[in-house]
Amino acid sequence: MSREDVFQKVMEIIKPFVKNEEVFQQADESTNILQDLKVNSARLVDIILNFEDEFDVEVEDEDADSVNTVGDAVSLIMEKLTA
Amino acid sequence: MTELSFGFRCGLAVQREVGRVLGIIWIIPIAWLMRFFMKYRIKDVKELRRRYRKLISETQAPILICPNHLTMADSAVIAWALGGSWWYLFRYSRMPWNIPEYNNFSFLWFVGLGAWITKCIPVVRGGNREDVSRVIKKIDYLLRKGDTALIFAEAGRSRTGKVQVDNHAQAVGRIMTTVPECQALCVYMRGDQQDTWSTAPKRGDSIYLDFEIFKPQSTFAGMRQSRDVAQQVVARIADMESRYFAGRK
Repeated sequence: MSREDVFQKVMEIIKPFVKNEEVFQQADESTNILQDLKVNSARLVDIILNFEDEFDVEVEDEDADSVNTVGDAVSLIMEKLTA
Repeated sequence: MTELSFGFRCGLAVQREVGRVLGIIWIIPIAWLMRFFMKYRIKDVKELRRRYRKLISETQAPILICPNHLTMADSAVIAWALGGSWWYLFRYSRMPWNIPEYNNFSFLWFVGLGAWITKCIPVVRGGNREDVSRVIKKIDYLLRKGDTALIFAEAGRSRTGKVQVDNHAQAVGRIMTTVPECQALCVYMRGDQQDTWSTAPKRGDSIYLDFEIFKPQSTFAGMRQSRDVAQQVVARIADMESRYFAGRK
């Protein structure tokens, strides 16, 4: 799976939790999930668990600590997929 | 979980010891402020403290206090209600560490200093995940050392006035699953005049408080386990709330 494919799926998963639709429309890998997209921090866990289901990977709490931006999420998933 | 660095461990030791030395000038005044100025009354406080002290004397396991969350003064009221004031001067490790929102007191340096002395470890909610993680690791470390900590089971003050079971604090589950034998002290607290969330309980309020010790079990792994445990804790507090309201009828 290419990085672009992962990015598109990540954006689909994040979409239902986004409160700032305007920023979401122009989001790229540098977009901060909590601060720019205004996703509730408590919902970040749900997003990451959805990543687990969608990509069939297992993410530990500590892995999730590195996820601030959409690009961080994509990198984490790419890393898990190639592990 | 990776270990907390030497620097952070030293920082926590300094914070704890400064707070302990200055305990007489902050623990007693805060308790008196709640008792004589705010005129809070804790229902059945003698029995409550007897139960809490018995629990503390009987258990060697780390205890994470997990209350419901309605006001910004909850952690202070709960600490005072459970232990009193003088008791903490001699059992300082039982004065719970708190993780308040940094932006609530960062605007004045002396408020920040006061928070540091009073065993607070600030966190920016929704901030950098590594910074949030470091705060969780500090609490993890302190619990392993035999200290007590307080983390609200809900991720924010309840906007509905009732326990929000779908808004659990993931940090509770994460700590409970990483600290061996850690038990959750589920606390339900509510003033008689507390209809919804607020800054503090109303002056002169009579406050109900109850607690139950709880060790959640989960068959999941990883983040799902942390979430499951956090959900169990908040569900337990919601049960306590249901019993509270049933008893008021």
